[in-house]
Amino acid sequence: MNLTAKNKWILVIFSALAGFINGFLGGGGGVLIVALLLAVVKLHQKHSQATALLIILPLTVVSAAVYLIKGNVDWTPTLWATLGVVVGGIVGALLLSKIKGNVAKIIFALVLIAGGIKMLF
Amino acid sequence: MTVFLLILFGFLAGIVGGMGMGGGTVLVPLLSFLDMSQKTIQAINLISFLPMCCVALVFHAKNKLVQTKHVWWLIVPAIVFAVVGALIADRADNKVLRLCFAIFLIAVGIWQLIVAIKFIVKQKKSVNQCNPADTGVFVEEESTDTEQ
Repeated sequence: MNLTAKNKWILVIFSALAGFINGFLGGGGGVLIVALLLAVVKLHQKHSQATALLIILPLTVVSAAVYLIKGNVDWTPTLWATLGVVVGGIVGALLLSKIKGNVAKIIFALVLIAGGIKMLF
Repeated sequence: MTVFLLILFGFLAGIVGGMGMGGGTVLVPLLSFLDMSQKTIQAINLISFLPMCCVALVFHAKNKLVQTKHVWWLIVPAIVFAVVGALIADRADNKVLRLCFAIFLIAVGIWQLIVAIKFIVKQKKSVNQCNPADTGVFVEEESTDTEQ
């Protein structure tokens, strides 16, 4: 599928917003990228989720570099959490090829709302 | 105990992240249970995501789920504004960052819930329109037109 000029602008503007959020909040840009890939590039759910990782990787590298240069990194907790994330990441990637897209989405949405409410207090 | 919780929270968020759904949106609220500044949490989130992302990408590439067409239209603007966002975060107050993150999570959660519910309603309708003999199983159509 080829993109129209209008769709290219939509991709540029909203991916810029996703990048800003990812740098400012240290994450979260992926949700917007997945939505863009679904709605504008017309990828399927699983392809959008997998391809989003490819897009978020470089922007996370540059965001992390800024946090590091500005002295906002505490290495001891970072390394322990990273150990957990890597093992969990392998489990999640294996699950994605089996799980139904909308079931995962509803669970994810509820977890997000709960997390947001917790952070307000 | 803190080490155990760091590994556990990382593991839970890693599962979500490996599924390509933004594990960071789960790891940050989990880490906010621990006594750490919001900037430290955000830095943990960014750095812990890097190896996880590489590992997950290898799995997804093997499953042929990664599509590289058009990705530059997203990568370039996202990188530029990620730097801008990170620089502003460095100057921002930790409380303000935490509040912004909380609002962002709730907004995305509600949005994703609406999307998922709409999708299920649409699926139910198309199943009902099928021949009665075909009902019961809805087979998701596989993509064939997006390969380069």
